[in-house]
Amino acid sequence: MLSLAWHTLRNRKGAFAGAFVALMCAAALITACGVLLDTGLRGGVRPERYAGAPIVVGADQQVHWTKDKKDKVKTKSKPLTERAWLPADVAERLRGLPGVRRVVPEVTFPAWTARGPAAGHAWDSAALTPFTLATGRPPHTAGEVVVDARAGLRPGQALTVSATAAPKTYTVVGVTTQALPSGSSLFFAAPEARRLARRPGQVSAIGVFPASAQPSAQTSAETMVRRALRGTPARVYTGDARGPLEFIDAAKSRVTLVSMGGALGGTSLLVAILVVVGTFALLIEQRRRELALLRAVAATPRQVRRMIGREALLVGAAAGVPGAAAGLGVARWLRTLFVDHGVMPANLALRLSPFPMAAALLATLIAGWAAARLSARRTARIRPAEALAEAAAEPRRPPLARTLIGLFALAGHVTLLAVLGALDTEAAATPVTFLAVVLAAFAVALLGPVISRAAMALLTQPLRLSRVSGHLAAANTRANARRFASVITPLTLAIGMTCTILFVPATVGDAATRQARDGAKAGHVLTGRVPPDATATVRSLPGVRGVTEIVPTTIRAGAGHGKYSARGLTPEAPAQTIDPGVRAGSLDRLAAGTMAVSATAAGHMHARLADEVPVTLGDGTPVRARIVAIYDRGLGFGDVLLPYDTITAHVDDPLPRQVLVTGGSADAIRQAVRGYPGVHAESAGQAQEDRQAKQADNAEVNLVIMGLIIAFTAIAIVNTLAVATAGRARELALLRLIGTTRRQVLRMLRLETLVVTLTGTLLGSAVAVATLSAYATGMTGSARPSFPPLSYLAVLTAVATLALFATALPGRLALTADPAETISAPDG
Amino acid sequence: MLLGNRHAAGRPAAGAEAVRLTSVHKVYGRGAAAVTALEEVTVGIPRGGFTAVMGPSGSGKSTFLHCAAGLDTPTSGTVRLGGTDLTGMSEVRLTELRRSRVGFVFQAFNLVSSLDVTQNVTLPLRLSGRGIDKKWLAEVLARVGLSDRAHHRPAELSGGQQQRVAIARALVTSPEVIFADEPTGALDSEAGREVLTLLRQAVDAAGQTVVMVTHDPVAAGYADAALFLADGRIVDSMTRPSADRVAERMAVLGGRA
Repeated sequence: MLSLAWHTLRNRKGAFAGAFVALMCAAALITACGVLLDTGLRGGVRPERYAGAPIVVGADQQVHWTKDKKDKVKTKSKPLTERAWLPADVAERLRGLPGVRRVVPEVTFPAWTARGPAAGHAWDSAALTPFTLATGRPPHTAGEVVVDARAGLRPGQALTVSATAAPKTYTVVGVTTQALPSGSSLFFAAPEARRLARRPGQVSAIGVFPASAQPSAQTSAETMVRRALRGTPARVYTGDARGPLEFIDAAKSRVTLVSMGGALGGTSLLVAILVVVGTFALLIEQRRRELALLRAVAATPRQVRRMIGREALLVGAAAGVPGAAAGLGVARWLRTLFVDHGVMPANLALRLSPFPMAAALLATLIAGWAAARLSARRTARIRPAEALAEAAAEPRRPPLARTLIGLFALAGHVTLLAVLGALDTEAAATPVTFLAVVLAAFAVALLGPVISRAAMALLTQPLRLSRVSGHLAAANTRANARRFASVITPLTLAIGMTCTILFVPATVGDAATRQARDGAKAGHVLTGRVPPDATATVRSLPGVRGVTEIVPTTIRAGAGHGKYSARGLTPEAPAQTIDPGVRAGSLDRLAAGTMAVSATAAGHMHARLADEVPVTLGDGTPVRARIVAIYDRGLGFGDVLLPYDTITAHVDDPLPRQVLVTGGSADAIRQAVRGYPGVHAESAGQAQEDRQAKQADNAEVNLVIMGLIIAFTAIAIVNTLAVATAGRARELALLRLIGTTRRQVLRMLRLETLVVTLTGTLLGSAVAVATLSAYATGMTGSARPSFPPLSYLAVLTAVATLALFATALPGRLALTADPAETISAPDG
Repeated sequence: MLLGNRHAAGRPAAGAEAVRLTSVHKVYGRGAAAVTALEEVTVGIPRGGFTAVMGPSGSGKSTFLHCAAGLDTPTSGTVRLGGTDLTGMSEVRLTELRRSRVGFVFQAFNLVSSLDVTQNVTLPLRLSGRGIDKKWLAEVLARVGLSDRAHHRPAELSGGQQQRVAIARALVTSPEVIFADEPTGALDSEAGREVLTLLRQAVDAAGQTVVMVTHDPVAAGYADAALFLADGRIVDSMTRPSADRVAERMAVLGGRA
């Protein structure tokens, strides 16, 4: 039987090309997602700044909590979003330990120059890398700085640095030999560095150098260090573990990669199954005559099913291997895009292991085999006499089981929509939207014959206006409901999926923009990194009634330790500058030990006004905060508002990224901030535009990631239509022989494609509108999805063009052959 | 080696009939939409003979063949094939019976396009897991005149050659009966003559039993006996039919229908 399968494959390469392409794309997508997932789970970053210190002591960069689940207690750990620091006296415990030669405490702070961001340190801790001087000397006074090799500066030049306070101009006194691959470094005199770090009595890390470089000496030093640190919050990092301590963003990216890889991989697997089932169903539909012959002559139903299953395994193996290899390329390409869009740090290397490839190959084999067996079920079971008779005409009614399962899938889709309507966090809702769309596409695939019959009855009436081509197209469309059902599925999937992918960010983004606009009371906005004295200057300008500084961060709060986007704001009269739609309490009461939360967040925390809620700040510091206000515009203003002073000591960059100003003249404000590099004064309208531009950028990232799935559905359309059209060579030849002109045949094909595209568009749009409405209900509180008309039109045009192209090309090809020869060939 | 010997060895001695249909009814559909294709058909097909089943379109010829060959099950009545009662057999057992004891030649699309001549001919053997006797295969191919076409694919053969491959496939298992459904229907008269001569030879030289459904009086002229079907009933039979006599009878039947 295997050899029979092999012969069939070898000689029907064309027919199997569709399944091959579908499976290969699936294997590539799954491999790529697997690599991302693997990188997220096990990938690491190599230390750069700490590369020279064999042992690094730092704070735990994770937050831990226990979760009571009935009688089980689970410990959860999540990476911190801001760096946790250590008390400086930890260094004292390490000094003088036997086997420890040197202990080097480190401070790290953001230090921007005209060239962009840099990390500031004290020259004292240059040895951690180690940095050495190429020219010049170490900084001695508060006004001196050493720059790295990449800065392109020479000793004696001036450099303005905006660290965590007012910008200050330094004199370059030295240039290092080295530069770190992933960022610039600046070195200051120790007291100046400590001042700029704004963390008195704290260090970001401590480098420990053992007495000798021998491994045994290092191990014993490490043991001594661990012993000395017992009972302190400090952790010991060695080897590659130093990387995550240095780059705490990498942990965040890894979490993103895991969730993204999982969602993308899961969706593409489902889409792959759908596409492959469709392709095999079509293929088997076209081979009914051959399969009927096999049944009549000698093959038992089991043998036919087995043969088809083995064909699928062979195609799966042939497609899976190059597909999985191509997947590695796709993963590399994705990584480049992610790095460009800031989703992933450049130094987080992809983890290339054979596991994702093996998993993809296995998934492809199983998906192909299952799809083929599923499609073969009916054909194999049917009586040969029936099969022989049926080879020409297709069965009248779809089997009941198929319709029932289809209805079940539809019910599942509706259930998911209900679930989606109650989900109000992006992380939870986004995967559900894709699942809902895929489930709807499954329902369409299964109910296809029923749907297409209904749709055709309506849509083919206008076709009859065209006497030859239209009449034929109408007749074909109605008579071959099953073939059209196979074609409608990928069209529905493509349109539903693309609209959902494109318009999910727009739906939330537009709602957030609306909320931000409705709640904006400030006429002017300072953007960039705004130092306190710039704000003070603006505050003292005549006519300025309210000034609010805003620092973004992330916190965890409530018993569930949910993650919320938070903003620290200077609490002097915030009602002058923002109106987040307070429904209970008042923003005026925002002070130390309190916070304001959005209604959504309050719901998640199970908290009401005046409740005291446990909060974990970005760097892991636990505090308690009483809720003094609950507001509605959470999407526009963040889930949690905290006093600026509460968070300023717990974020990596304490400078406000935004300062809202009510009153005052634009000119005066612009004048006031002129001396501050990187600070811009904008009108509220400009700020709004910036916001939308940023939103568009986010949508682009989303599009890049999900673009692969869109591409896959596009391939599925081309695939299915091409296979369907190519399988009709005999029929087209017959039409030519009885006197239909080439033009008429092609016109007929075009009209047919138009009918199926229209049906697919209606179904796909309905699915997208339903899914997006449910999503909007959950996320924004109103069932108002954003359907930007231009983008929507572009999607429809692209799909229609693709569909026409995919029909016309094989159609033309089929028509170039001599019709008399085609029709007498033993098998079309 | 004589083909005849081989057959004589494996054949059950009992009974002079290869196929026996008793009170066979076949109804398609249910209720108001029911169509009776065969009605009260009782007939025996003699072993070692060439029987033509004649009748106008819609007379139930194909249904008769499908029921007799185990491709379809009658609504009522019994079918015995070489002493085996087909009533109540599962689809799998019917398939196994077909591949060992029945050979088929259909009107068209007889062959699996991706397999070459040899592979098509040996398909029933391969599917039943039986070994392939190379000498026997060569013999069969020689008999149908395709020795030099053994590794051609169906697309490279003429219509007549394709039908000859189908005959070879039917012969290769040395079946109880070869059923042919309009085997010349898609061929020109020259190629049709070749196919009919081969079927005739299978009966004469090898002692095979052949049942052929046709509406062509010339084809029926090659048979030993002809059965006439009209409206699902056997209305007449004829021994030693000639093309002219059959045509005459058909004209009457056609008028009736």
